Amino acid sequence: MNTILKLEHIQKYYGNEGNITRAIKDISFSVKVGEFLGIMGASGSGKTTLLNCISTIDTVSAGHIFLEGTDVTEMKPKSLAKFRRENLGFVFQDFNLLDTLTISENIALALAINKTPAWNVEHCILDIAKKLNISDILNKYPYQVSGGQKQRCACARAIINNPKLLLADEPTGALDSHCAQMLLSTIQSINKQLGATILMVTHDAFTASYASRILFLRDGEIFMELRKGNDSRSDFFAKILNVLTMMGGEQSHVC
Amino acid sequence: MYAKLIFRNAKRSIKDYLIYIVTMTICVTLFYAFLSISSSYYNPDIGSEYDFTLLSDGMKVAICMITLLLLFLIQFVNHYMLRRKQKEFAVQSIMGMEQKIIGRIFFAETLIMGIISILIGIFFGIFCSQFITAMFLTTYGKPYEISWTLFPDTVLWTVAFFTFSFLVVGIFNTHTIQKTKIITMLSAEKENEPELKKSRWIFVMVIIFELFTVWAFITGIIKSLFFYDSRFPIPVQLMYFGNILFPAVTLGWSFLWLFQKKKWDFQKLLCGLLACSVLNTFAAVSVPALTNQYYLPLGNGTLRKYLLFALLDLFFFIGALIYLASSFIVIWKEKSPEHRYKGENLFFFGQITSKLKTTSKTMTLICITLVLAIFLFIAAPILMGWALGFLDIHAMYDVQIFSEYNDVYDEKELPRDNYEMVTDFLKEHDIEIAYDCTFNLYLPKKEDFSSRIKYNFPVVAISLSDYNIIRKMLGYEQISLGENEFATQWQTIATEEERNRFLSEHTDILTDGGTLKISEQPYYEEAMGETLYNSYTDVLYIFPDNICEKLLQVIRNRYITTTEKITYENASELEKIFMNEYPEQIENGASYDIRFRTLQVNSTKANNFVMQVAMLYGAIVLMVICLTVLSLQQLLDAGQYKYRFSVLRKLGVEEKQISKLILKQLSVWFGLPILVAIVVAAVMIGYFVQTISAEISAYIGFTTLLLQIGMTVGILVLLLICYFLSTWIIFRHSVN
Repeated sequence: MNTILKLEHIQKYYGNEGNITRAIKDISFSVKVGEFLGIMGASGSGKTTLLNCISTIDTVSAGHIFLEGTDVTEMKPKSLAKFRRENLGFVFQDFNLLDTLTISENIALALAINKTPAWNVEHCILDIAKKLNISDILNKYPYQVSGGQKQRCACARAIINNPKLLLADEPTGALDSHCAQMLLSTIQSINKQLGATILMVTHDAFTASYASRILFLRDGEIFMELRKGNDSRSDFFAKILNVLTMMGGEQSHVC
Repeated sequence: MYAKLIFRNAKRSIKDYLIYIVTMTICVTLFYAFLSISSSYYNPDIGSEYDFTLLSDGMKVAICMITLLLLFLIQFVNHYMLRRKQKEFAVQSIMGMEQKIIGRIFFAETLIMGIISILIGIFFGIFCSQFITAMFLTTYGKPYEISWTLFPDTVLWTVAFFTFSFLVVGIFNTHTIQKTKIITMLSAEKENEPELKKSRWIFVMVIIFELFTVWAFITGIIKSLFFYDSRFPIPVQLMYFGNILFPAVTLGWSFLWLFQKKKWDFQKLLCGLLACSVLNTFAAVSVPALTNQYYLPLGNGTLRKYLLFALLDLFFFIGALIYLASSFIVIWKEKSPEHRYKGENLFFFGQITSKLKTTSKTMTLICITLVLAIFLFIAAPILMGWALGFLDIHAMYDVQIFSEYNDVYDEKELPRDNYEMVTDFLKEHDIEIAYDCTFNLYLPKKEDFSSRIKYNFPVVAISLSDYNIIRKMLGYEQISLGENEFATQWQTIATEEERNRFLSEHTDILTDGGTLKISEQPYYEEAMGETLYNSYTDVLYIFPDNICEKLLQVIRNRYITTTEKITYENASELEKIFMNEYPEQIENGASYDIRFRTLQVNSTKANNFVMQVAMLYGAIVLMVICLTVLSLQQLLDAGQYKYRFSVLRKLGVEEKQISKLILKQLSVWFGLPILVAIVVAAVMIGYFVQTISAEISAYIGFTTLLLQIGMTVGILVLLLICYFLSTWIIFRHSVN
């Protein structure tokens, strides 16, 4: 399989001289096409910073990020927005839907911004809505639908432009367990059936268990990597919990 | 410690306070500039024949009334600042600061900003008061000189007034801060758009509109029952039918909607009513216009009633249009996918429609206020110019005594007096007479005496010798007539078209003294005062003396000019004596009146100036209020906008595009109410100007009018730029 995303010795510092916070110390990894990668870690481990760097919302202090061979760290700010909308899709914890637009318009906005011809827009929306099972709420406003439905709408918006990489930041963070489960099945099917490459950040072990590979971050470094391989999800879940226990249970932390 | 915090806060948040400072500065500037006229240090040289106290008292009252509007504005801006700072207050409270102290700190902050505004405002006020002085001296016909004076009492008044209002509002705010719960303040910014409440105001408006339509319908029927005549010209007949038909259509549409309620939505009713309101407006305004033209008899108060209908129709039009604006956008959006799905248009439409839906009431009020402001602005100088121009024609003689025979039904009761009491009075007070002319006006034909229909009132005649004496009085050249010839004298407001038509129709006239031919010089149009003509007519015949001797004299006037101006006291006294001799209220018989140049000029000029200043001040204050409310409406929601624009950014929209969107959104937000207001105001002013176009061309001149309209547009644009820029800066600041 081809590598779609490659990170080389990423570093990210905050603050000024004398008082530097090293959010990311040195991280390198790569993601293959069609992979579902989870990134786990406690608060402050640098996972959101990492996501922001990949998504070009933030800049790195050192290192390179290649998306399909293009070095995004070298791009000019002007072309970044274009790059973002053509190559990346986002799903956020708090949905980030616009309350002034209906569900279908929210999805259409992503298409319109990407200059999809008008005649094709509605067809695309109906198509994706069918796949994500939100056809019957298309004409409702975000405040009229449930959290799970909102997040599915956000997913639809994220993948409608067929991005090379789908970035999800705690997608289940604001959902109850039932909705979370449904959403994760949706994301998994996006990965399996539509073949989308997904990079998901979470601190929830259950959510992470849907991924095919997990990177554990601690204090700005990769602490461990876990592959699902042929394990069932429950086995994988147990392994994840083990790693988490190991990460949090070192003696020095208890003292 | 707290003082440091206050100053640091003030310095840091000066950008947040931009709107506050701009609004306050404009308020102070206006207040200072207009009040400076009534300062006791203000002593412009306007001559001793004027009574200045009359003016400054009137000014104070007018300014106080309008200033009440400013209080509303100060409260509004403070409320905005309070909401904007709520999160900061919450953090301070959580840190353990007492809410009382937070309130005081906020008060001190606003006070600092207030003081800055007062200082800048007074500085600008000194400039602006120059305009007002210029206006003042022009009113009194004196040359304008620049005088840079700071009036201590006006400064004191300004500082006192604004400090007082800040104190009152400050106490109110401190109280609000103390009463607000911390959690409410903390989540103030996260507050989402209020759930779409079913707004009741539009229903109330529809009901009021329907009630007035019923009233208009009934009035239309009653008027045509009592006053309709099939001999009326076609426009008048159309007016009668229109005023029954259009209200009937309006009501019919509403009934139709009631029957179809299940199928048709409320928008459909409103669309129909919107169209009907336009038709109704035209029908209603045609009543005063045609009444003026044809002197229609319609009964007392009818004109006012129809003006009320017209105004109400216009207001309903504005309200319904703005209420429907979001629906129109939605419909347009649905119908054209190529526009809908182009770039960020979806987002833009969403922004506009959601805001319009929740604020259509405020927008309507803003629009109506703006219409009022624009109308005041343009009408003020027209009315003033009219009054002043009228004054020149009104007060051409130092003393004018004139009579009317409108209520005389017996020839014996026609005026025959010589008004000798006036001669006695002038002699007693050693007032030297320069010219004195007592003269008669005659009816060319005796049978016209009984003709009393307004639009058919007979034209009267003056004898050539009397006419020449009056011309001499006014310094005009003498005229002469051949035998059996006549000429005409025209009022200033008569149009050339009217004159030509009249002259072509009256080349020969039949009189009781024989037939007369029109002279080679058929007309004279020098201003000679308006009491020289019969009621409702603009023309006077000039007949040879020998003809006049054979005619019935119906009016007897006396004009006097004196070598020196009559003093204010003498004029008042003589007026009283005259009124005792010839009481004003009589049912039958001739009516008499006396006018003095001194009294007229004095009261007209003072009233005029106060009116003009009050109208201009009111207009600017109303405009400032509208623009402030518009701008703060946008800025109050900055929190939500920040979120929405951040979503756009994450979706990959470029910064340049976002800036464009912001500009577009603000343009629509400011543009829509201003555009609607300008259109409605233009219609109103057009109608107003058309009704009094004769007076405008006679007393003001269309160049002056255009200049005035240009100035209004200039001020509006200047204010608009101020507000638009500051809103834009703050908006961008809070979204980024």
